[in-house]
Amino acid sequence: MEAEVTYWQEFKKGIIAQNPLLVLMVGLCSALAVSNRFENGIFMGVAASFVLVFSNIIISSIRKWIPGQIRIPIFIVVIASFVTIVDLVMKAYFPPVYERLGVWIPLIVVNCMILARAEGFASKKTVVRSALDGLGIGLGYTLVLLVMGFIREVLGTGKLVVFEKTVFSLGFFNPPLIFIMFPGAFLTFGVIMAVLNRYEAGKKK
Amino acid sequence: MSEPYRYFLIFLGAVLVYNIILIRFIALCPLIGVSTKVETSIGMAMSVLFVMTMATTVSWIAWNYILEPLGVGEFLYIPAFILIIAALVQFVEMVIKKVSTPLYRAMGIYLPLITTNCAVLAAATEAVKPGFLKLNVPYHFGLLEAIIYTVGVALGFGIIIIMFACIRERLETSPVPHSFRGAPIAFMTATLLSLAFMGFANLLGL
Repeated sequence: MEAEVTYWQEFKKGIIAQNPLLVLMVGLCSALAVSNRFENGIFMGVAASFVLVFSNIIISSIRKWIPGQIRIPIFIVVIASFVTIVDLVMKAYFPPVYERLGVWIPLIVVNCMILARAEGFASKKTVVRSALDGLGIGLGYTLVLLVMGFIREVLGTGKLVVFEKTVFSLGFFNPPLIFIMFPGAFLTFGVIMAVLNRYEAGKKK
Repeated sequence: MSEPYRYFLIFLGAVLVYNIILIRFIALCPLIGVSTKVETSIGMAMSVLFVMTMATTVSWIAWNYILEPLGVGEFLYIPAFILIIAALVQFVEMVIKKVSTPLYRAMGIYLPLITTNCAVLAAATEAVKPGFLKLNVPYHFGLLEAIIYTVGVALGFGIIIIMFACIRERLETSPVPHSFRGAPIAFMTATLLSLAFMGFANLLGL
């Protein structure tokens, strides 16, 4: 069974079949909080994927020496080191983004998504597989973030602004602000999940 | 602004105006995952209140007496705080198991979950390390303020999670469209609750 899973499948499953947000339902908090703008999704996605890939690599390469009882603290320390790197890099090079994402950067460390991958995948599989898994899951996370950010920003402000450039602007309607505010996040995510459920149900028939 | 009034505002802000779940989206996993029964929600809320207050207190001591004087706070605060929380949770679990069996039965199973509950780390980081707190009240990062803020955050968490469980128990028996069963309808509920909580914005100038 194990040998039949190709590297490509290892990578691919994170995007749809085991999408961290929509299917596994881990790492929700950060996704809902930062998806009020498309641009935030890019930064948060890259940050989380970076931590995911590198913590997966490290944990998988030391997996044989980790004693079972204290594995969780070890995972957390590894993850925390990479989060610190992201934290300091962002603070130094992207201060406005850092300001907007705020407490969410340190909170990547308790993002259940990353710990779940470390515990459930990286601590059992080889380095290459873990890296691909991290990449796939990170990409799945980023994609949902981007879709949500796109929907919320376009509906909530009537235009899409990426890196201070307006990509397009819908001038014809009065945007309901609610979409970039708090309830909009829950609403958008709930509807996306419902649509996906519907799609899955339709496929089974 | 008198001191007690300022403390009151910090508390009120943490509970209602900047509610940790509905307004700031922290700790959604327990909201969706745990709050299906009122009883479990109450257990979870109590454990969070207990652990969160202790975590902030210990983090405050670590920040002010160890990390900050040594000048390493900026680099080490993430691993330091998360390890404090993890160790604390483990310790609390052992103490409760030894001291009180009923309490352990009520809280025990939630304790391991709390380590990865982002609310605890968030509250500790905001209350202790300058630069993250967004509250429209003067805040000086004293120990008392940090504790008041944390208790407020934990109560805000508890209120919502219990309220949410009550609604979800009713939802179990309601006719919900098929695609919305389970998590999606929970998110719809959260939308409406969050809408209601937005009404607290600007309360007493917060």
